[in-house]
Amino acid sequence: MRRVAIVGAGMTPFGEHFGLGLKDLVPMAVSEMAATVDKGLDRGDIEAAWFGELTTTDGFPTGILADQCGLLDIPVSRIENACATGQDTLRNAVFGVASGHIDVALVVGADKVRETSSRSTFWEWMGMTRDMAWDYPLGLVAPANFALHVRRYLHESPATRTHLAMIAVKNHHHATTNPKAQLRNEITVEQVLAAPMVVDPFGLYDCTPQSDGAAALLVVGEEVADRYTDRPIWIRGLGLGLDRVMHQHKADMTTFPPTKKAAAAAYAMAGVSPADIDVAEVHDCFTGVELISYEDLGFADRFCGYELVEAHATTVGGSIPVNPSGGLKAKGHPPGATGVAQCVELFEQLRGEACNQVEDARVALAHNVGGPTAVSAVTILSSDRP
Amino acid sequence: MGDVTAISTYVPAWRTAGGMTAAGSDEDAVTMAVEAGMAALGDGLIPVDRVVLVSRELPLLEGGSAAVLLAGLGLAEGTAVVEQVGGAPAVLDAISSAEAGTLVLAAELTEGAAAGAVLVGPGQGISPAARVQRSLPLRLRGQDGVVYEDSDPRLQRERGVRASFERADLPSKPVAVAGLTPRDAAELCEGTPPRPPTLGAASPIFALATLAEERRSGLVAAVEQASLSAAYVEPAGATVTRLERPQLTLPDAGPTPGPDIKFAYTAYDRAFDSKVRWEAGRCPSCGTLALPPRWRCIECGQEGAHELVPLPRRGTVYTHATIHTPVPGLTSPYSLAVVALSGVDVRALVTVTDASAGSVDIDRQGRLVLRRVATRSGVPDYGYAFQPDVPVSEPAEVA
Repeated sequence: MRRVAIVGAGMTPFGEHFGLGLKDLVPMAVSEMAATVDKGLDRGDIEAAWFGELTTTDGFPTGILADQCGLLDIPVSRIENACATGQDTLRNAVFGVASGHIDVALVVGADKVRETSSRSTFWEWMGMTRDMAWDYPLGLVAPANFALHVRRYLHESPATRTHLAMIAVKNHHHATTNPKAQLRNEITVEQVLAAPMVVDPFGLYDCTPQSDGAAALLVVGEEVADRYTDRPIWIRGLGLGLDRVMHQHKADMTTFPPTKKAAAAAYAMAGVSPADIDVAEVHDCFTGVELISYEDLGFADRFCGYELVEAHATTVGGSIPVNPSGGLKAKGHPPGATGVAQCVELFEQLRGEACNQVEDARVALAHNVGGPTAVSAVTILSSDRP
Repeated sequence: MGDVTAISTYVPAWRTAGGMTAAGSDEDAVTMAVEAGMAALGDGLIPVDRVVLVSRELPLLEGGSAAVLLAGLGLAEGTAVVEQVGGAPAVLDAISSAEAGTLVLAAELTEGAAAGAVLVGPGQGISPAARVQRSLPLRLRGQDGVVYEDSDPRLQRERGVRASFERADLPSKPVAVAGLTPRDAAELCEGTPPRPPTLGAASPIFALATLAEERRSGLVAAVEQASLSAAYVEPAGATVTRLERPQLTLPDAGPTPGPDIKFAYTAYDRAFDSKVRWEAGRCPSCGTLALPPRWRCIECGQEGAHELVPLPRRGTVYTHATIHTPVPGLTSPYSLAVVALSGVDVRALVTVTDASAGSVDIDRQGRLVLRRVATRSGVPDYGYAFQPDVPVSEPAEVA
């Protein structure tokens, strides 16, 4: 397969952008990305675009990207794959470039969660992820979707709610220096544990905020990379994994099998192991999901994820920093944008330009898990040419 | 003419702050009647070819609740169903005039929510004695559903109950009068009358249950306003099942306002038999059970039609979540659980019922019961919910 690199990466701030629509956020992210291309980007070079978006709040998604970004003469495809949408969008663009059919591709992810009232969002999302007759009417809202896993995990492992709280504290701490992050305030373990319950065992601070935002990447073939930069970031591994869609069919709910499948595929493609990862952006829509994912991604042994938390190993400065951007928890989580924005963070990390720079980061991993916990994406990037 | 073969009574697990027994937010006349009816059917030794449901709160006046009733009871969809509007006299009438093979169900959501079931088998143990239909509409409810009530207990007693008793000219004093407070009933009865928890439709069945337990028989009357029905009943040989739990105070909060929960008729239709009868699809090749039933076997990959087989109605909590955040159309907090069904390799994702939200933990055992799991765009959506067993060590909540 032809080698593929990221040569530009940018995003809007994540937050409640009541004053901005998708028609504003998408071109803003593309311009942010273009500004990071070292040798400049002529938009006429872009041959195709892939757009990741969960729900549209401004009408026809691909047309909006073409229309609002001045890209009316190229093909645009939309990808939707629950919380794996952003990374799956990148994945499809990479395969397009790797095929040799195109040299320069645009990847955009965006969502505007705060366009609809937070209460109607629950049912909209359940309509996309639940069996309409069996599970939909029960009110298995997104936090409950994950709480069923984490409740069982807490039952079987030595981890406690305090470990979950420590993850929230860490990610909030990381976000304080990220100008793009939605929640940039320090919190304490006591605050997390005392916060109102959303879905047991998740209190308010265990949960991602509802976010609007967009992120963009420029993905190019090896032969043309030096037209744009002398410091490309290489796509090393891509994985996408699936699982049974109904929770009652998941034999062991203390783990996310889609993550294991996606990670195995990405590690194999990259030729690296978990020990080689210098920095990771891990799906932390709810704190317990980050904890379980340490194990699914191979950073910790089964039921030993809490040891990483206790040792502060996943804090910047530790042995395997996780979510230096603040993660979904504090940076924010507009689902279509999330996976793309994780790669924006890792692009900056691998070029030594991140707001919470991990020293000598050379291999980085991004991870999402979502929908009815039935899909996961893992992407491995490196400053080292494969 | 028949015999009272089995009697069961059902009292919901809830009471109002004022101490009145109340139906849970996921219960209606159909689910309560099914609770009582399942207990009366027992091992199914008596074939049932007719079901009579008497209530003033029939959930669907159009569209019918008969299919849900039969599915919940596990009876064939060809069974005759009568959905009858009525109170205590109508229920006693239905029992005393029933042919063998009739299951009479009564459910009341107001005046002390309760349900009862009487299975009528072959015999000579019941016969009608009197019927008086007079009008004294001190309480009435028209087509608009609004209740108009003119409380006048003395008028009710003198011109309603007593005048009707005079006209009925019963040969002896009844041993029980359903539909009256214990004090009013005592004045009209021989001996000490039973004290049913409801004055509504199910009250004659509670009276019969007490008589059966006490091995008594005789004339039983049921009254409502100025109408009266009486029957000779010898229920001594009947089996009696009483479904009661320590009661919890019903939360004040109702459903969170907001957009309707979407409903899809096609999905409802496809799922109905499995979901309301509590049956799994069985793979014709390897026998693996699937809930919900599926085209392609989850185990061996065999594709094609499956047969439906009954699922166990007991299980153990594998994991759970309690939702505190407000969700439109649902009453928060509420609990969901993944329940491993007993003796089969099947789990179900269900709501937790008849328990305070958050009170159920992993490994708790309980049974699966028919409930109205949601009301979606106005349509009652029935399915099964997990009712945790009452722990032996846990005393009833103090009133």
